Amino acid sequence: MSVVSLLHSKASIPEELQKNEACLPLYYEHLNTPPKVSVCGLDFFYGEHQALLDNDIDIAPNKVTAIIGPSGCGKSTHLRVYNRIFELYKDQKAKGKVLLDGENIFSSKINILELRRKVGMIFQKPTPFPMSVFENVAYGLKLHYAISKSEISIKVEEALRRAALWDEVKDMLSKPGMALSGGQQQRLCVARAIAVEPEVLLMDEPTSAIDPVATLKIEELIDSLKQKFTIVIVTHNMQQAARISDFTAFFYKGKIVEFDKTKKIFTNPAQKKTEEYITGRFG
Amino acid sequence: MKTNTNMKRRELTDLFIKIISSIAASIGIFFLLWIIFTVFQRGFAALSIDFFTKLPTPPGMEGGGLVNAITGTAIITFLATIIGVPVGVLTGIYLSEYGSHSRFGSLVRLVVNLTIGIPSIVVGLFVFALVVIPTGNFSAWAGALAQSIIMLPVIARTSEDMLNLVPNELREASLAIGMPKWRSIVSIIFRYSKSGIMTGVLLAVARISGETAPLLFTVMNSQFWMKSLNEPIANLTVTIYNYAMSPFDDWRQFAWGASLLITMVVLFLNIIARMILKEAK
Ligand SMILES: Nc1ncnc2c1ncn2[C@@H]1O[C@H](COP(=O)(O)OP(=O)(O)O)[C@@H](O)[C@H]1O
Ligand SMILES: [Mg+2]
Repeated sequence: MSVVSLLHSKASIPEELQKNEACLPLYYEHLNTPPKVSVCGLDFFYGEHQALLDNDIDIAPNKVTAIIGPSGCGKSTHLRVYNRIFELYKDQKAKGKVLLDGENIFSSKINILELRRKVGMIFQKPTPFPMSVFENVAYGLKLHYAISKSEISIKVEEALRRAALWDEVKDMLSKPGMALSGGQQQRLCVARAIAVEPEVLLMDEPTSAIDPVATLKIEELIDSLKQKFTIVIVTHNMQQAARISDFTAFFYKGKIVEFDKTKKIFTNPAQKKTEEYITGRFG
Repeated sequence: MKTNTNMKRRELTDLFIKIISSIAASIGIFFLLWIIFTVFQRGFAALSIDFFTKLPTPPGMEGGGLVNAITGTAIITFLATIIGVPVGVLTGIYLSEYGSHSRFGSLVRLVVNLTIGIPSIVVGLFVFALVVIPTGNFSAWAGALAQSIIMLPVIARTSEDMLNLVPNELREASLAIGMPKWRSIVSIIFRYSKSGIMTGVLLAVARISGETAPLLFTVMNSQFWMKSLNEPIANLTVTIYNYAMSPFDDWRQFAWGASLLITMVVLFLNIIARMILKEAK
């Protein structure tokens, strides 16, 4: 791994990782906390086809980490391991370790439903549930928490406010979620995801299917959300990565070619391939 | 020059196809309208308050009605629906959500597709051999079972088709907020395709409510009020079959009345199904 400006610090490395010399977590020099998510030697297979090769990466808590790279390089595949959503498909297999707060998400002790509450996901296309705006946000709440109706209303409003959608939908909470505009639907999905109080938010090209104004809103939203959440965002829009992320990983053909602070990646990348990509020579 | 003649020929072919297809369509429509018109014309005269409220009279006697057959058909259709719809919808859910790629799933799908094509009289014969002979009597239950067997593959197939139209993103999104799979199926995927499935169910109900063959040797028919579901009961389609071939004018009249009633119910169900589908869009 070519992480130049990041330091190793064994001080608070989870025991499980210390045994694994091949994949020490990389601690950020200015952060005193262990990584929120630590990926170690991750391989991924679609049947026979290997889509990820030996991915190592550490996701800093309360920061935005962007994943960039040409189309088909494995960005989505990588992201879809964090909440084990790929397991929906029988022929897809992951090998390696993904630690969330030091605990391997593939361990048999992990409750998959709880994992997915902790690790929320926003998809490329908005995916409102076939129910009202209110119900869309309330559904996950009712699923994970035993709370009263009035508490639900409060939490729904809170989530919609945090998703910067409340003012636009407060008078149409009982309308179907699918009746909203594309950009609104995407923010509804954000509200739905954050309502269950996740710790990590995965976003797979969340703005590629919506208009520029709505994109701007989502970008502002991401900036405000990182106070509370750890965000990993896949984007093929390099300006977007530069604008909103703190760290950037450049993927190429299933490998993480370079991972560093966003500023470094975009001004002074260590790898030739990275430079070629960010200067638009391919991709 | 050459292209010009080519153009002419193409236009002529076009016109020719247009004309013969219009003629074919007109012939189809003509016969359909003729059937509906005849059923209305002949049947309407039979409809009276007595038709809906009185029992049939013995041959030769004036008056009477088909209230027992009307309720009988309603009961058989209802029973068939409460058996056939849940099993059919669940089969569709299995095919689309659980067994889409498994061996057993493919086998079930094959059976479903084959049974859709089985003539309804064969289903009737099957139930006759399996239920009527062992129990020793014709019954409403046997008829309902036969009808539900006819519904089942139709509903399973439409349900699977409708569920397959649900975007995969929605499946992923519901699992991604930590829903167990069964909940995602029940409250997201099923809800998304509800109107399509409802349409399929209504069309299947419409289809069986007009079936005669599966009832002929399972329920038979009766001139009286039914006392239980374990005996032959009166029903409209077998009544049409019996009465239409009888030598009595008033019975033949009743057969037309019953035909009109069934046609209207089927048309009604079709219209409702269409409306549900439109609403969903
Ligand atoms: N469902 C799938 N089945 C088989 N191969 C897939 C599937 N999804 C993606 N791939 C392959 O995996 C590689 C990475 O895809 P993906 O992660 O979607 O790339 P990205 O998100 O960076 O565009 C590609 O070569 C793609 O063809
Ligand atoms: Mg992708």
